[in-house]
Amino acid sequence: MKSSIFESSKNVFLDTVNAKDYIQLDRVSTIYQSLKNSVKKPLKMILLYGKPGTGKSMFLNKLYHDLSVSQKVYLYSTPILDESEFFKTLAHDILNVKYRGELNFTQFMAVVNEKMLNEIPLVLLDEAQLYSNALMEKIRLLSDTRKIKFVITLHKTEKEDLIAKEHFQTRIWESIELENASNVELKIYIQKKLMKANCFDSANMFQNKPVNLIHKLTKGNYRDTNKLLYTLFDIYASYEENNSVKINKNNISNKIIEMAALHTGLIHD
Amino acid sequence: MININELESRQLKYKIKSYIPHAVIIVSLSVIAFVSYAVLTSKSVANKKDELMHYTSNTHEMAIDTAKSMQTVEEKILSVERKTEIAKSNDFKMQNTAQEIQIQDKPINKITENEKNENEKMLLSPSLDFMKKINNNTLPYYENITEDENINISNSHKKAKEKAMEEKVELTEEPIVEESKKTSMNITRQNTHEDIKHVIARFKKNNNPALSLFVAKKYYEIGDYHKSYNYALITNEINNNIDASWIVFAKSLVKLNKKDMAIKTLKQYIEYSNSGQAKILLDEIMSGKFQ
Repeated sequence: MKSSIFESSKNVFLDTVNAKDYIQLDRVSTIYQSLKNSVKKPLKMILLYGKPGTGKSMFLNKLYHDLSVSQKVYLYSTPILDESEFFKTLAHDILNVKYRGELNFTQFMAVVNEKMLNEIPLVLLDEAQLYSNALMEKIRLLSDTRKIKFVITLHKTEKEDLIAKEHFQTRIWESIELENASNVELKIYIQKKLMKANCFDSANMFQNKPVNLIHKLTKGNYRDTNKLLYTLFDIYASYEENNSVKINKNNISNKIIEMAALHTGLIHD
Repeated sequence: MININELESRQLKYKIKSYIPHAVIIVSLSVIAFVSYAVLTSKSVANKKDELMHYTSNTHEMAIDTAKSMQTVEEKILSVERKTEIAKSNDFKMQNTAQEIQIQDKPINKITENEKNENEKMLLSPSLDFMKKINNNTLPYYENITEDENINISNSHKKAKEKAMEEKVELTEEPIVEESKKTSMNITRQNTHEDIKHVIARFKKNNNPALSLFVAKKYYEIGDYHKSYNYALITNEINNNIDASWIVFAKSLVKLNKKDMAIKTLKQYIEYSNSGQAKILLDEIMSGKFQ
């Protein structure tokens, strides 16, 4: 059915973090390979930073998905803000030790030193900017013991830059920055994402002109692009259902892109 | 579910809003361009006006200069004309004198008919008053010349020069008098023997009775009555219709103590010409007023 094309295309751009939805782009692939190489090195800590929606979480998920087969990798997508809970979770996941009561940093360090781990576990902490400074300092001390390796992601803001400087400047051995997509990358991203879901007709609708407008509106941000395209295909689906004469199925209409941008709040009337 | 109609209206508003800056820029540029054009045009018009004013003032200055130069030229022309008129008047005097001599010559009847016709052609019929003025070298004679000057000015120049001429005549009145005085002094100089000799030389060349009459008068004035008698006689031989010549002839005879002969001659001339001047002189001689 024709209507299912737009519906299925819409679902492609659902804002979910799934390693299976990871899109290979040249620049991103290079960065990812660099990250994988850094993980193999005896580094204390790896910092992955960038603006919101640049794919940090996806990167971390992809890394977890790829490395979990070969080594011990622990991904914490949601920050554990309570310190005792954080250490109890780590003790449970890494050391297989369950604590019913409180577990402070000292107790956790003592347990780590007691346990002789065969290999250094890799802990992936997403949204690390949400951790408190005190906890971040303790994470730093943990990484200094070289018993646990951390890969953390930070939003690149002035505040996060300050955190990075103060807590990780001397300890981070590798820092990788993720950036928004260029026009060409965005076009490839959209088309690959659609083709991956077998939405070839929809993928062919994205010529340079509409992609440039999308890039102008989203500034190449993957999250915003996903949101915009989800709404775009939702509008197309609505037109298809109610007034199919108004839409051109060969090209993405700028008018509908702007309507989607208005709906998602990227632009205002 | 997305409200398509609402989104369409919002998109239309957004599109219109997005065009506003462009429209404002275009309108602003148009206004700026129009204002610039207007300013430039006004400046160029002002420049043209200035140029025109400058040109007009220049033309006015040129016109003033031209008028001044015209005045100068006119003054020069006037002075030249005056000189010419003075020279002409001198010639005129001599001609008239010669004519008078010819009148006295009539009783003798020695002149051929062809010579008479030639002399008649040269006659300009001057008045006796005019001759008196010549003889006396009085100022009124030159006043007449000034009047003649005005008459001699060409009609084409008259209208254009009227006002200027009036002013000039007023302004140049005194210099004209001075000039006329100077001219009168020149005539006095002509009374000298050298001038008389010069006139005699000219007379010998062209045998003009006006010149011989002039010489007769001058000799009479300086008291050389023999010579004045001779030249009056010569003049009368050339042209016996000149009153002045016969009068000088008669006066010279009286001065040479030949009063009877003078009376006889005058009577004969009066019979022939019925000359008023001759009658007056005859009465004066007869009454003894003229001695």
